Amino acid sequence: MATPVIMPRQGQSVESCIITKWQKQPGDTVAVGDVLFTYETDKATFDEKAKVEGELLAVFFEEGDDVECLLNVCVIGAKGESFAEFDPKNGASETAEAAAEPAKEEKAEVAAVEAVAVPVVAGEKIKISPRAKNLAETTGADLRYAEASGPNGRVIERDVRKLIAEGKTVSAAAKNEYVAAGKDIIGTGLGGMISTADLNATAEVAPVAAAPVAAATAVDFGECEEVKLPNIRKVISRQMHASLSEMAQLTLNSSFDATEIMAYRAKIKDAREKLGLANITLNDIILYAVSRVLPNHKDLNAYFYEDKMVYFKHVNLGVAVDTPRGLMVPTVFGADTMSLSEISANSKKLQDEAKAGTINPDLLKGGTFTVTNLGSLGVESFTPVINPPQTGILGVDNITTRIKMVGGEIKPYQAMGLSLTFDHRALDGAPAAKFLSDLVNALENFTLLLAK
Amino acid sequence: MPKSQFISPEEIRKSGTLSFQDIDLNKYNKTIEEEKANFSNDDFMRIYRDMAYIREFETMLYLIKTTSEYNGVAYNNPGPAHLSMGQEASAVGQAYHLGIDDFIFGSHRSHGEIIAKGLSAIEKLDDAQLYDIMKNFLGGKILKIVEKDQKSTKELAIDFLLYGALAEIFARDTGFHEGLGGSMHCFFLPFGIYPNNAIVGGSATVAAGAALFKKVNNKNGICISNIGDGAMGRGPVWEAMNFAAMDQYTKLWEEAYKGGLPVIFNFFNNSYGMGGQTYGETMAYGILARVGAGVTPTQMYSERVDGYNPLAVIDAMRRKIDIIKENKGPVLLDTVTYRIAGHSPSDSSSYRTQEEIQAWEEQDVLKAYSAKLIDAKVADNDAFESIKETIKERITKICAMAADETISPRMDLFKTPDAIEKIMFSNEKIEKMEDRPVDVNMPMEENPRVQAIAKKERWGFDANGKPVSKNKVYQLRDGLFEAIIDKFYKDPTLITYGEDVRDWGGAYAVYRGLTEALPYHRLFNAPISESAIVGTAVGYAMAGGRAIVELMYCDFIGCAGDEIFNQLAKWQSMSAGLLKMPVVVRVSVGSKYGAQHSQDWTSLCSAIPGLKCVFPVTPYDAKGLMNAALAGTDPVIFFESQRVYDIGEQFHEGGVPEGYYEVEIGEPDIKKQGSDITILTVGSTLYTALKAAKELEEKYNISAEVIDARSIVPFNYEKVIESVKKTGKILLASDAVDRGSVLKTMASNIAELAFDYLDAPPVVVGSRNWITPAYELEQHFFPQADWIIDAIHERIMPIAGYTPVRNFTDGERIRREKLGV
Repeated sequence: MATPVIMPRQGQSVESCIITKWQKQPGDTVAVGDVLFTYETDKATFDEKAKVEGELLAVFFEEGDDVECLLNVCVIGAKGESFAEFDPKNGASETAEAAAEPAKEEKAEVAAVEAVAVPVVAGEKIKISPRAKNLAETTGADLRYAEASGPNGRVIERDVRKLIAEGKTVSAAAKNEYVAAGKDIIGTGLGGMISTADLNATAEVAPVAAAPVAAATAVDFGECEEVKLPNIRKVISRQMHASLSEMAQLTLNSSFDATEIMAYRAKIKDAREKLGLANITLNDIILYAVSRVLPNHKDLNAYFYEDKMVYFKHVNLGVAVDTPRGLMVPTVFGADTMSLSEISANSKKLQDEAKAGTINPDLLKGGTFTVTNLGSLGVESFTPVINPPQTGILGVDNITTRIKMVGGEIKPYQAMGLSLTFDHRALDGAPAAKFLSDLVNALENFTLLLAK
Repeated sequence: MPKSQFISPEEIRKSGTLSFQDIDLNKYNKTIEEEKANFSNDDFMRIYRDMAYIREFETMLYLIKTTSEYNGVAYNNPGPAHLSMGQEASAVGQAYHLGIDDFIFGSHRSHGEIIAKGLSAIEKLDDAQLYDIMKNFLGGKILKIVEKDQKSTKELAIDFLLYGALAEIFARDTGFHEGLGGSMHCFFLPFGIYPNNAIVGGSATVAAGAALFKKVNNKNGICISNIGDGAMGRGPVWEAMNFAAMDQYTKLWEEAYKGGLPVIFNFFNNSYGMGGQTYGETMAYGILARVGAGVTPTQMYSERVDGYNPLAVIDAMRRKIDIIKENKGPVLLDTVTYRIAGHSPSDSSSYRTQEEIQAWEEQDVLKAYSAKLIDAKVADNDAFESIKETIKERITKICAMAADETISPRMDLFKTPDAIEKIMFSNEKIEKMEDRPVDVNMPMEENPRVQAIAKKERWGFDANGKPVSKNKVYQLRDGLFEAIIDKFYKDPTLITYGEDVRDWGGAYAVYRGLTEALPYHRLFNAPISESAIVGTAVGYAMAGGRAIVELMYCDFIGCAGDEIFNQLAKWQSMSAGLLKMPVVVRVSVGSKYGAQHSQDWTSLCSAIPGLKCVFPVTPYDAKGLMNAALAGTDPVIFFESQRVYDIGEQFHEGGVPEGYYEVEIGEPDIKKQGSDITILTVGSTLYTALKAAKELEEKYNISAEVIDARSIVPFNYEKVIESVKKTGKILLASDAVDRGSVLKTMASNIAELAFDYLDAPPVVVGSRNWITPAYELEQHFFPQADWIIDAIHERIMPIAGYTPVRNFTDGERIRREKLGV
């Protein structure tokens, strides 16, 4: 039987060799030890010698061919013997192909660890990469809404890019606040988390672990949606809880006859276009009245600290505003020195900016007393929550029709409710009630107040 | 193994006896009367004078060290002073017959040899030569200081020699090499005084290398390695002796180059290696001269010489120089002597008795020699007293000058803060170290390898963008070969040697074809002696040549640690730029071969100031960087990777140029543009990073920019910083183990330079701090493409939908570091 000669494998890393010269031709007689052909790898040249004797029956490759190792190169045998079965080009090299197919790697199923965005308030200090911080500074991206997607809850560039894409940016003036991380900022208004600095100053909240809801939950909630809290919500919740847990708050309810202020407002409304007056709202009127009455009740225009009170000469009036981002409390600074129309214009501008998210964070702090109005939403009475270290907050309720005895007659009138929450640590019930009654008096005689 | 030599089993297995010749011990016994035929009275007296100079110079240093004062000159010298009182006769005797073409290489205790060799050179040179040397040395800086007094040129030259050496010892800018070598590394090349060496035995390989230079380049003179008896305990000394005596010099080298290296391994045998007594305690030879019989059939013409008699040493040197001139080197001399002073001034001689010291003092070389001369009526006592007086006066004057801050200022690193910086590398481009025809066997175009390469595809892809098969593509090893053979046909001094570089063609076939091109004396197999391979290259370059040496595996750097880290790296700067070090050390980073053959030690080498380190992994870069390395004058550790010797060019459009070009050392190269993250690699990890980049792009829509460092020292960060400013993120990867990786240094620099632009800390992905396991387990040790993505996901930018395979978390890092793994 004929003997095939293979291309030897010269070393583990050699895949193929080039036949440089055939030293024997088909038909030549070959003795053991005769050089059949010379071949080379990329490193060296070798001679392939015959290991059997006979006639060189066939060669399957030419000089210069790059031959895969271990393939048959030629055949030696007795004259006339068949050799076609050794030709590597005949008979599909199935095995080679099968081997060539890359083995499919079986990857062990590992529990998927998703890239989870972590709210930035997770720790004492905001974790943000220098690059993301720089980008936020130059673009005014509002980091309060950033969802940290970097390692260990770090805000990285893509998180800031997302803010920009979503339009969550703050005004150029506000930008500076973000640079001053770590600065201690006092009172930012009810629930007002206004700058990263504020964030930094607040006590830590345990990091929100990305742990999935315990599978063992037996209760069937039906369809539900789990939504991560935005930062502002987290700040509000923290501040509200702190307020209620740390202060001695109680609320006094009262109401007043709104006839006069309603008439006054109607009058302005009628004359507005003709005289070019501002649109004075009932709330503006209340703000004005508070700004004038408050200086006579210094315990409520003050900050309470553990061991001291700080009394303010002027009234910086916080105005609670419902915005798409949540509650914000911009401040009308020096309200006691402003005219009604000035208060009106000022508070309107602040409310608009707060709603648009472009407000300067400086204007979200520094209030000495707060007014919050749920009356327009039909609330008859409620318990507003003080924004510490302020000592009081006035809730404005809705207008209801009430009756009163006037000259022995039952007479209906429009009554507006007032809910004053005060900090009993700072003042007692009587002075608080006195403020409320003075305020009621001022509002019921608003035109007189204006004349002052 | 060359085919011309036959290893016969009959011969090897034959029974018989190996016999040795007798080794002479202190055979010299001539009287002064007998020696009068060889020496004039002046000669006799000059020998005394030279010894007295050494004695006084060393005494001065001893007093300065111990009392901060010498003869009224106050000075505090905090630097080292290993003094040689007692050894004067051996130094002067050795130098007596030496000329300036004969190079001596010393030890930490070699002030005496400098003075002896210097005085001998001054005696032999004529005035014009001497003056020229002094005028041209360091722009005449030293000459200006000593020239002030009127005196003869020879007297001036003695002042020059003593002042230059002392100012060097005092670390003055006016010293022989600006105070950067100091006491233990002092030298003066124009007189054939080559560097002394603070590493015990360090001079052995270096001297052998200088001797190799003399032999290969047909230079006059011999080389002497002056080391102590303690040095016989050091492996590199044995390596050097064998290297200098290899059989091939007589059996294989061409006729004109036959014979061992012209080098004397001279051991100034004072019986102590610091406090350890060699004879009787730390060594086994009994008598040091015995060792010669263990190295060569000639027994290295070894003998013991009485180093307490200058005439005995002169006699021995004359005979040994003759042997070397007959091309029968190397020679071993056991020059017995004794140091009266301690190892250093802080030595309390707790290891020897006063009686022993006194016994040797009674035979004091100066006293004994002068007594003999008085007996033989060569001179009377007054003549010796007068010599001593003159010398003391001169040394006092020299000491006052060297101690004077205004005459001898120190290098001012406030005024010229770059004074040392600019000599760390010579940064020159010299095409050929000597201008003469090259010695080659054939025109380059007839070389079979050159012809084979001509047929190869120089670009890695065919017209359809498919990779060209390995046998047809121009490979990285071809790029190295082209650069190397090109330089062999340009620089006649270029030689290359290492393990299996001839016949075999190098373990990775880089040198295939060089055997045909080059005679033995330019390409030869070295013994398995990494210390000698690198150390001789240092000496070869010091003497004026250029060398490429190969260590086969990067791991073997450990065997040549001193030679790479203390010799190769330091001589340019310790010589204040007087020496050049055009040596390329090729090391191959392995894989598949386990823990002792697979280490990337770029971190180790780049940590040593004075070495350039490059690691090309593409054929284009390999050729360009090898050309640049061979064109320069600095030592380059040239890393290669066994993973990619056969790789084709995939980046340089148009393929690897046929002509000469250089890739500038220090410039990284962007191998793939990208915008979202930068990946910087060292070594063949480039290809791993490209694989990761492909996956990042295809699966996660993250565009990675991949930069190949190419060089590690020097390194231009500008390109990397630019990239990081763009992407804000960088991952660095190489096969070096993570701990202490040079990538950590790079990461730290990048963090400093681009902090405000970074979106995450620079992250390094290296190999595990383990042994390299078997090939089949290597994917758990070397960085893989998925490790790179894992690290990005975990440490830089979590990738939505990605599941990491390996653990790159904080906790895991702390755990591993805690365990030190």
